[in-house]
Amino acid sequence: MHRKMVWACGLVLLMVICPRASAADSLPPANRWISPEAIFVVEVSQPEALLDLAFDPKMIEAVASLPAYQKQAEQPGFRQFLQVVRFLEMTLDTPWPTGVRKLVGGGVTLAASADGGALLIVDAQDAQMLQRLHEILLGFAKNQAEKQEQPGRVASEEYRGATCWTFGGDEAHAILGNRLLLANRSEVLKAALDLRAKPDGQSLASSPAYQNARAALSGDMVASAFVNLQPLKQHPPVKDLLTQSSSNPLATLLLAGVTEALRDSSWLAVGLDVEEDTLSLSAVVDGKAGGENSPAAFALPSRDAEGALPNLAVPRRIAAASLYRDLHRFYAAKDDLFPERTSGLIFFENMMGIFFSGMDLTEEVFGETRPEIRVVVAEQDYDSAVGTPQVQFPAFAAVFHLERPAEFAEVVEEAWQKAVGLINFTRGQQAQPGLIIDRPVHSGTKFTVAYFRSPKDADRTNVDARFNFRPALATEGEYLIFSSTEGLAGDLIDALKKEQAGTPKPLAETHSLVELDGAGLLSILAANRENLIRQNMLEEGNTQAEAETQIDLILAVLKYLDEAKLSVGSREGRPQANLKLKLDLP
Amino acid sequence: MFTTRRDFLKTSLGTSALCSLGPAVPAFLSRSALAAAPRQDDGHTILVVVQMAGGNDGLNTVVPYEDDEYARRRPTLRWAAKEVHKIDSLLGFHPRMQAFMRLYQEGHLSIVQGVGYPNPNGDHAAAMRDWQTARPHQPDCQTGWLGRAIDHACHPGEANTPGVFVGQIAQPFGLNTEKAVVPSIKNLEQCMLTPEFDSAGPAQRTRTGDDNPLLDFLRLSARTAHADSRRIEAAANAPTAEYPPLPLAQSLKTVAQLIRAELGIRIFHTELGGNGPGGFDNHANQRGNHGALLSQLSESVAAFVDDLKRDKLLDRVLLITFSEFGRTVAENGRHGTGHGSAAPVFLAGGRLKGRLIGAHPALTELENGGQKFHTDFRRVYATVLDRWLGMDSSAILGEKFDTLDVLEA
Amino acid sequence: MFADNRTVPDQGRSEPPGTPDAGRPIDPDWAWAPYKPDTQRPWDLRRAGHLFRRAAFGADWGQLQQALADGPQRTVDRLLRPDADVEAFHRTYDEYEASTAGSDSADGLRAWWLRRMMQTPHPLLEKMTLFWHDHFAISNARVKNALLMHKHVQSLRSHALGRFAPLLQSVSRDPAVLLGLEAAANRKAQPNEQPARTIVEVYSLGPGHATEEDLRSAARAFTGWFVLRGQLRYIEREHDTGTKRFLGEEGDFDADAVVRILLGQPAVSRLLVRKLYRWLICETEESDDALLAPLVESFRKDYDVATLVETMLRSNLFFSPAAYRQRIKSPVEFALGIVRGLEGMVSTTQLGQDLAALGENLYHPPTVRGWRGGQYWINRATLIGRSNLAGALLSGSEPYGDKLDPAAIAKKHGFPDPEPAGRFLLDLFLQGDVEADVGDRLLRDVAAAGGDLSRRLRRLAGTIVTLPEFHLA
Repeated sequence: MHRKMVWACGLVLLMVICPRASAADSLPPANRWISPEAIFVVEVSQPEALLDLAFDPKMIEAVASLPAYQKQAEQPGFRQFLQVVRFLEMTLDTPWPTGVRKLVGGGVTLAASADGGALLIVDAQDAQMLQRLHEILLGFAKNQAEKQEQPGRVASEEYRGATCWTFGGDEAHAILGNRLLLANRSEVLKAALDLRAKPDGQSLASSPAYQNARAALSGDMVASAFVNLQPLKQHPPVKDLLTQSSSNPLATLLLAGVTEALRDSSWLAVGLDVEEDTLSLSAVVDGKAGGENSPAAFALPSRDAEGALPNLAVPRRIAAASLYRDLHRFYAAKDDLFPERTSGLIFFENMMGIFFSGMDLTEEVFGETRPEIRVVVAEQDYDSAVGTPQVQFPAFAAVFHLERPAEFAEVVEEAWQKAVGLINFTRGQQAQPGLIIDRPVHSGTKFTVAYFRSPKDADRTNVDARFNFRPALATEGEYLIFSSTEGLAGDLIDALKKEQAGTPKPLAETHSLVELDGAGLLSILAANRENLIRQNMLEEGNTQAEAETQIDLILAVLKYLDEAKLSVGSREGRPQANLKLKLDLP
Repeated sequence: MFTTRRDFLKTSLGTSALCSLGPAVPAFLSRSALAAAPRQDDGHTILVVVQMAGGNDGLNTVVPYEDDEYARRRPTLRWAAKEVHKIDSLLGFHPRMQAFMRLYQEGHLSIVQGVGYPNPNGDHAAAMRDWQTARPHQPDCQTGWLGRAIDHACHPGEANTPGVFVGQIAQPFGLNTEKAVVPSIKNLEQCMLTPEFDSAGPAQRTRTGDDNPLLDFLRLSARTAHADSRRIEAAANAPTAEYPPLPLAQSLKTVAQLIRAELGIRIFHTELGGNGPGGFDNHANQRGNHGALLSQLSESVAAFVDDLKRDKLLDRVLLITFSEFGRTVAENGRHGTGHGSAAPVFLAGGRLKGRLIGAHPALTELENGGQKFHTDFRRVYATVLDRWLGMDSSAILGEKFDTLDVLEA
Repeated sequence: MFADNRTVPDQGRSEPPGTPDAGRPIDPDWAWAPYKPDTQRPWDLRRAGHLFRRAAFGADWGQLQQALADGPQRTVDRLLRPDADVEAFHRTYDEYEASTAGSDSADGLRAWWLRRMMQTPHPLLEKMTLFWHDHFAISNARVKNALLMHKHVQSLRSHALGRFAPLLQSVSRDPAVLLGLEAAANRKAQPNEQPARTIVEVYSLGPGHATEEDLRSAARAFTGWFVLRGQLRYIEREHDTGTKRFLGEEGDFDADAVVRILLGQPAVSRLLVRKLYRWLICETEESDDALLAPLVESFRKDYDVATLVETMLRSNLFFSPAAYRQRIKSPVEFALGIVRGLEGMVSTTQLGQDLAALGENLYHPPTVRGWRGGQYWINRATLIGRSNLAGALLSGSEPYGDKLDPAAIAKKHGFPDPEPAGRFLLDLFLQGDVEADVGDRLLRDVAAAGGDLSRRLRRLAGTIVTLPEFHLA
């Protein structure tokens, strides 16, 4: 156990090392030593940036304050690990963070091929330190091998002018100047040494797919990954996933051809950037972003200046999404997109038929909407006169952009009131209380709300779950708001007034933008902590204590998330996605 | 046949006789019991029931294209003479049912027209319950008609599985039993033993003839279960005909594979239209939606029939469809139709007699705005039970109903 | 079968006096006298395992060892009156359940109940609650209200080891029961005969004791009771105040009077003793009246369920071959036997679904007659399903994860090595009572097989719990 631990630490250290030594300058980039057959390659070209974040005192404090970390720190294995770290600090005569920087600072590259071969290339900043560490580990490995009466386990051989080592099993590695090569098989190591010997040979660096993928990422990345999708797509589970035609209309609408794009792509490139407390991941594939006749076409801006609008800001927001989806075009293509007739779809059509008095759903209803759709989820304030439900749902709302608001807003109003009437009728049949319709005014805008009578003599801290809802319909300028609560409808009226005071500018190259607000998410989860714990107990079979630990870990980690932003769209005809995580460290 | 088999198993499970003979005999018996099982079930008839939830518009399924009243009442939904697949000079299949037209011409499809029941229920759940229990207007009826047939065919001690549901939704109430446990099959994998934890190996080596009849029962059952698992595996790996990538077709493909595995399952229940209220409930925009469902029905059933025919199994299989009600003759203002009453029932199989059974109900005398029934659905059930499955229909339906002369002897 | 040397179970079988014998009736006095171990019928692992299968949902190793040390009567004492804060446990779980029921999730209720069965310090109470759930057989498929189902089962639990008279009273006034019997409205003009039939013929007397007129009278007596908005209401003007004749008595009976008259009938005691005999002792033989007569007589006096259960569990008959392995485990008993044996806890959301697929969907009995069970639990498909469920529970991977670990439990109880650990598992799950050659071969295999011991013991445990013997209760 102990021996494995030391090795693991040593190798991790080696993995993360690099060169200030002169030898470094003479070595070609690591990707020239990697076979073009590699299907998965990760390159950390600026380890410093990641190490800065990892060794940032704020990050250390954040991690150290996690309950899960504190629990882990009490384990004997963890104490052993710290001993090893201390031992290495002493022997290498350098503090741990500095040591790691010196050992991996020149860059780290990991490559895997379809046959299971894996190669790790680490460039140290300090070649001497790398050598010293290797000597220490070598001595240690030899010692252990002898103790276990297998002295032959640790061995070396010369190959193309390099010394190839193994500490046992299939592991193989070599050190060339400031560079460490570590492979899970000796053939993999030798193949890399072959490429080193033939600088003009076919390597990853010379593969066109790799070159295109690199070029698709914007310049200076902290780290990047390249995935060759061709072999991956032959892998049965992936294949099934990509070929399954979605029978769920909502999923089709949301994904907007993403699976289709993956199906058509030969590579995926991912880049990582770090700036202060923000991590940005961007992904690009080479498939087409969807042609005229593709099912994804309904998410492609038909005019240049169009695209998803910026999200709406409301108080206590949890999440927001902004989509560019041509519902008219989407629904007109429904026979091709999802040929099955699920009970849900038929029910939807029947209801819409009633609400819109038999109007043609595609032409006369969806045809009245513009493709800019926004969704907002926010925590709600409960009216103290009504009370707080035990299970708290956030408020949610959808905002549609109308072609002809003056003509269509009343049609929707009529449909909405019919829906409330139908709900009331059905609830009445089940002897349940119904909704009362009201027309309040907010910031000068008159809108419609339906609410439940507040209960008499109820425990105000635990009212029925229906009091999570106070559905509202409002029109503000060209926009139509469907909200689950009156409060959120009011906030959206304000937000839209503010937005329309200027001119909202569509986001470039984006058809979907999803934003999560850490604080709001944390707050709603914390409000439902008890329920989450109980659900965890039933679903995972955990004890109450285990469930509390798991849920509290999620809550604790969320505390450090300021904001997450995922945008999907296309650039130069290629589908791309960007994820930005803004951390909020203590 | 069943009596003999039951007696046979009773003997093999009987404690005293076997105990006294020592271990050699039970081993021989168990081998023969295992080997005999498939042959014993060979050649039995099989019923496949397709539930179509939502209330199928029979009028636009089997279309009276020459009827003026039809044209008048269906201004936007009607199908014209040139669009339908003509059955005769009056009736035709919906334009998207070309596969049913072919089956009909090949003699593998019959249409029983005007099927319904007195005082039909206009509510989905209640009407569906009526068809499922075969006890109309008895909401507290505890079992489904197929469930009662399964209980009837289920012999404790044999561990047989007379009926199963194949599909992705919750098991329909038609299969609700008082005694037997009816499996719901989503895929063939769940019907096979996980190889790693397959204890039938050791179980197979255990002796029968224990003085505990329950233990003997379980040992024999474990062996048959193991053999079933093997057979299903073989059937799953055997080639089948092409089935379209539609849910009903995939369910029927599974049914065909289970039929080939010869497990002694006599009743298969599957469905189209999903959970309530159901896909056939076309109150609005009926044209495209109804067509898509009928296309799925006819393509799926045709693939199933062709598949079975290829393996000469079709003569043993009868498929019937049902829906809780038909729809109103008049269309509503939303290009849809309301809840009606009578509608046609389809039969598919290899031993059908007569293709068009009963008259197309008139469009002038209506009930609940739909066509009036002339054939009680329980007559169809009685026919299937008495004349196809060889079960006593009056015991299962609780009453004697006249059967229809639609099956070859 | 009850010999000391468990690897040779067929040897040394001897019939104690009064033991059921082919053709000869069992002597009731012997049958119901408390069991005292002797050399021919020693208190051993097998009898302890048998007791925990019937009076609980199986045992873990500690419980089996404790039982061996305590002897049978003391063990029954503990099962009846556990030495733990049972009330606190139920308070906690009632609170868990109430929150689930509040969001109208019957699946959630099902998951909590299974978890309660796994965790309870008083498993006999849950076993008897399940008995009553099977007896009254109210299904949420008809009630469609999780809160009412929660209250219904809670009420069954509170009476489960109490007296039958108040239990039947409470059931007859339970909104869930009225909804479950399709009797939400009992109008004077339209008395509901079907629910009356169920209360008389299924819940209390059994078939054939009441005439059609009796049933009509009972239905009339129940008029006036309604369930509105999930609440029981009595509407006086809808009550039929006319004279009714019911089981030989005459008067203006209401629902309470019907229940009172029913409880005066000797058939009630017979029905319940017979049913409990099937539940706790034996489901293979039709119980004969002479054997049950003493119990029927005494149960009739006070309807004290706990005393009846106690008499059965302590009896010679209970520990005799007439009871041993004379029941087939229900799916719940099957799965919980595995989970409790391995001292674990698994996802009960998932387990609830899997057990429903095997025919036992808690809160959803198939008909008002409950689960038929017995040999009907078993068919080829459910046997394959049980094997695959055992495989899923023990595989260490999704959907149940690594919540059960046979190797860890074996090690915990002092059996770290393959062969002894394998023997431990055989003793834990089957008390070693499996044919010698089968047991020996399994142990040889586990010792000989290479690879990860934890994996090997998972496999072995999976094989043991799918042996025919493990399906017997």
